[in-house]
Amino acid sequence: MTLLQVRNLTKNYDGIGILNGVNFSLHEGEIKVVMGPSGCGKTTLLRCLNRLVEPSSGEIIFDDKDITAADVDIRQVRQRIGFVFQNFALYRHLSALENVKLGLRKLRGLSDAEATQRAIYELSHVEMQDHQDKYPAHLSGGQQQRVAIARALAMDPAVLFFDEPTSALDPLMAREIANLLNRLHAEKVTILCVTHDVTLAKNLPGDVLFLNHGHVEAEAPISELMQNHASENVRAFFEEKAPNA
Amino acid sequence: MSESFAFLSDMVDYGPQILNGLINTLLLAGTISVTGLFAGILIFRLTLSENRFIRKSTASYISFFIGTPLIVLLFLMYYGLPQWGIKLSPFAIAAIGFTLNIAAYNSRYLSAAYNGIDQQQLMAASAQGFSSRQIFSLIILPQTLRRAIPGLTNQVALNIKDSSIAFLIQYVDFFAQMQEQASLNFQYLKVYAVTGAIYLLLVSLVIFGSKRLETRYAIPH
Ligand SMILES: Nc1ncnc2c1ncn2[C@@H]1O[C@H](COP(=O)(O)OP(=O)(O)O)[C@@H](O)[C@H]1O
Ligand SMILES: [Mg+2]
Repeated sequence: MTLLQVRNLTKNYDGIGILNGVNFSLHEGEIKVVMGPSGCGKTTLLRCLNRLVEPSSGEIIFDDKDITAADVDIRQVRQRIGFVFQNFALYRHLSALENVKLGLRKLRGLSDAEATQRAIYELSHVEMQDHQDKYPAHLSGGQQQRVAIARALAMDPAVLFFDEPTSALDPLMAREIANLLNRLHAEKVTILCVTHDVTLAKNLPGDVLFLNHGHVEAEAPISELMQNHASENVRAFFEEKAPNA
Repeated sequence: MSESFAFLSDMVDYGPQILNGLINTLLLAGTISVTGLFAGILIFRLTLSENRFIRKSTASYISFFIGTPLIVLLFLMYYGLPQWGIKLSPFAIAAIGFTLNIAAYNSRYLSAAYNGIDQQQLMAASAQGFSSRQIFSLIILPQTLRRAIPGLTNQVALNIKDSSIAFLIQYVDFFAQMQEQASLNFQYLKVYAVTGAIYLLLVSLVIFGSKRLETRYAIPH
């Protein structure tokens, strides 16, 4: 079933088109990767999809409803979209456990005991139970990211968005996040992952949406994109990123 | 020797009044520290408003109270308001005047602390579905308050010292009592030295408490 369908999405900043009519869909349980050169609008696209950035025009059909409509309670929609930021964006004054608990307590209305139980479950799921009382500042990048994932998963999201999940990690950690994404995919979590990391993209199943100058230039498995693709921009991107691949 | 003794005995004779003055000083400083904190939080909240007019008005409020000597405001209320038939007690006038003034300073401390916090976590909170009110009370305020502890407690120390100007609108505080004492026994040097020492002691207590708070509530970084 189609969970998310994007139609003719545009975003202008001061009259300059950043997204120029983006179309794609995401099915339940699917993992889709969004790639493209730096500055092509990947982050903007992700932020438009839950209206952290207000799209200029177009439709975003989420669960059969156009969430760009005026009468939509966007906060309810956002609660169903887990968002893992590039720099993880943990709440700095809260421990790992409290980071996961906050939404459960204040948005879901769980009791303290229920929220604690659920948060510990989610932290264990990403192997962070031993670090639950640490503050973000005392966790490595990879650990912060796991807490951010646990925080998102605790809300039972219909989909998880990742913005450049490997960009703030060392290569070893980057490999681990690929494993984690695959595990989540195996558990039927729907994932939309923005990245310019070819290694990560190669390690994920599912199609790659190639974004260039604010529109979808190609959509295909990465193996196809990397083999002498018809689009010159696609070829240029992969030649530059992985000349020997 | 006998002169020192006379001074001490004067202080003891005058003890109840001095103590009363001290209590009035602490009452005023305590009141304005609490009201000034809450009003400061309110002003700070308004500086973050999505409404441009509210933001502009708040900025004007802050510039006005930081730019105007407090004594002018106190005299305005003390001598001016009765002309409109409004007569307030010196304590009420001092409490209102100081609160308006301190709120401006405290909002500045909070704004500076706010500028230092990681803005992406606020976006993360929006993305999670929190309302702007929740983001303020659950993320922004806890973090700015904790980061602003040095400034906010410094303001409490200032409040203790600055509250002494309330004697100019006939509020009988510690300073007013000590002045009275000096004018009776002409021991200006000793009286004002003791006065200074006691203010210093009070301020030191606040600074000590501030350090404790800072250690206890520092955000790990
Ligand atoms: N708030 C903004 N105001 C103006 N331009 C912006 C803003 N945010 C992003 N842009 C521009 O939009 C383009 C796409 O940015 P972004 O979506 O971050 O790209 P990517 O994530 O693909 O690297 C960039 O040229 C950037 O400068
Ligand atoms: Mg980006």
